[in-house]
Amino acid sequence: MIHTRDLAKRYGAHAALDGVDLHVPAGSIYGLAGPNGAGKTTLLDIVAGLRAPTSGEVAIDAAPGTIAVLPDTPQFDPWLTGREVVALAQSLTAPAGDDARVDEVLDQTGLADAAARRCGGYSRGMLQRLGLAATLVSRPSLILLDEPASALDPQGRREVLDLISQLRGQATILFSSHILGDVQEVCDAVGVLHHGRLLFQGPLSELLVGRAVPRYLVRVREGAATGVGTGVGTGAGTTAHDVAAALSREPWVASAAAGDAGQVTIEVASMADAEHRLPAALAATGASVVSLGPEAVSLERAFLELTS
Amino acid sequence: MNLWRLEWLRLMRTKRWVALAAVYVLFGLIGPLTARYIQEILSRVGSADGTVITVPAPTPPDGMVQFVSNASQIGTLVVVIVAAGALAFDAIPEMGVFLRTRVTPASRILVPRLVVSFLAAAGAFVAGAGVAWYETWALIGALDPGSVLAGVALGLVFLAFVVALTAAVAQRMRKVLGTVMASLVVLVAMPLLGLAPAISRWLPTSLANALADLPGGGTMDNYWPALGVSVVATALLVWLAFGWAGRREA
Repeated sequence: MIHTRDLAKRYGAHAALDGVDLHVPAGSIYGLAGPNGAGKTTLLDIVAGLRAPTSGEVAIDAAPGTIAVLPDTPQFDPWLTGREVVALAQSLTAPAGDDARVDEVLDQTGLADAAARRCGGYSRGMLQRLGLAATLVSRPSLILLDEPASALDPQGRREVLDLISQLRGQATILFSSHILGDVQEVCDAVGVLHHGRLLFQGPLSELLVGRAVPRYLVRVREGAATGVGTGVGTGAGTTAHDVAAALSREPWVASAAAGDAGQVTIEVASMADAEHRLPAALAATGASVVSLGPEAVSLERAFLELTS
Repeated sequence: MNLWRLEWLRLMRTKRWVALAAVYVLFGLIGPLTARYIQEILSRVGSADGTVITVPAPTPPDGMVQFVSNASQIGTLVVVIVAAGALAFDAIPEMGVFLRTRVTPASRILVPRLVVSFLAAAGAFVAGAGVAWYETWALIGALDPGSVLAGVALGLVFLAFVVALTAAVAQRMRKVLGTVMASLVVLVAMPLLGLAPAISRWLPTSLANALADLPGGGTMDNYWPALGVSVVATALLVWLAFGWAGRREA
């Protein structure tokens, strides 16, 4: 749906984008992840035609008028009602549309009851949903969302993410966020942008699996006197540091590090080793084990590994 | 709902039409009244040293002179402010994005804003001039209708120039305050240039004075150069505004 080739945007000596080859598959929800200042908004603006690239090419397989853009903090003339904003968006992009469609998207975005109120009195979350309603009313084939949920409270964020998820299959969505959990939750393809460069792009599963390192997470109850086992820490209670030190000496453990609240992160040579040997090794430490299990690879960890 | 209705609602709901109408109609009421009763006003105020100020008996053109001298400055200021508020549509970038990503070319966004801003200013000016004309007739005496109508027409051309100037400046400045300030600088600079007699008859700002001058015996011959320059400049400014509106950030 969207292809860019060697896209660059420079502001003087600063490269906001540097050789970006973006590929957004048709029908996907593509998450553009990256920290603040990574170049996400610049990239979206160029795709939307709001900024000119310094060099490179952009190709979009969508008819003119079927691309909708939602900025991170949508604003509208405060003296318009919510319904008028959506009706205006419809008249500009889908003039053949009818009032029923306006009502439908207002209902879909949970604004039906507030539709007759002037949007100057809307909360931030309501404005975001109004922006989505104005975006959806024309049934666009490509939707560009810039940080659609990052400024919202938890409830507002949940509502917006649910709305985006509901759009799966109806349109191609390019969605930027610095909140990796949001990207992981709703996107099926991801691009990681850092300092203007696209470090990775592809299916989310590929990113997570490809970056997966065999790790186990163990949580021990610190300070508990167990009287069990023959190893370290009995009597006075085994700490996470004690456990990490003991496990580090095992040949099948690559590293073991103690964290907060009794957590120990153990990197192993293979998951099979951990499954066979870790319970016994923990028992030998005398630690009081609260939980034990393989680490679920998060986008955050994959992102940190990519960008570090 | 469309872009034309949007501009109509902007005028109505933000009460901008009230500001425009109030200025012109108020000065339309006050101007002839002041001209008619200036002698009485001065005698009531008096002076500490007993000086007696004698004012010639008012003539009908004085009513329009008073109206124009008051309305042309403050009225133009209000027109610039109201027009800048509508024409600088990128002043709040998110609102600009809403329109720019839905309307192409961007000049389509400008057309209703230009037209409605001008019509609102023109309506207020005509209403003020009408009130001043009626009150002059009622209090002082009749004016030559042809010269009044010609003066109003030239005043409207000046307002079209003001709105076009504001539109062009707004596309460069992209901020309301910056647009107002820059437009006013241009409009204030013109009368200063006009201190040179050879130049003044070519300046659009001279048209603002036609409604005061023509009923008092001025001739259209004095205004043809300024009229020609104003029409050409207005067309050029609108063309520039359309071109600049379509620019993307480099």
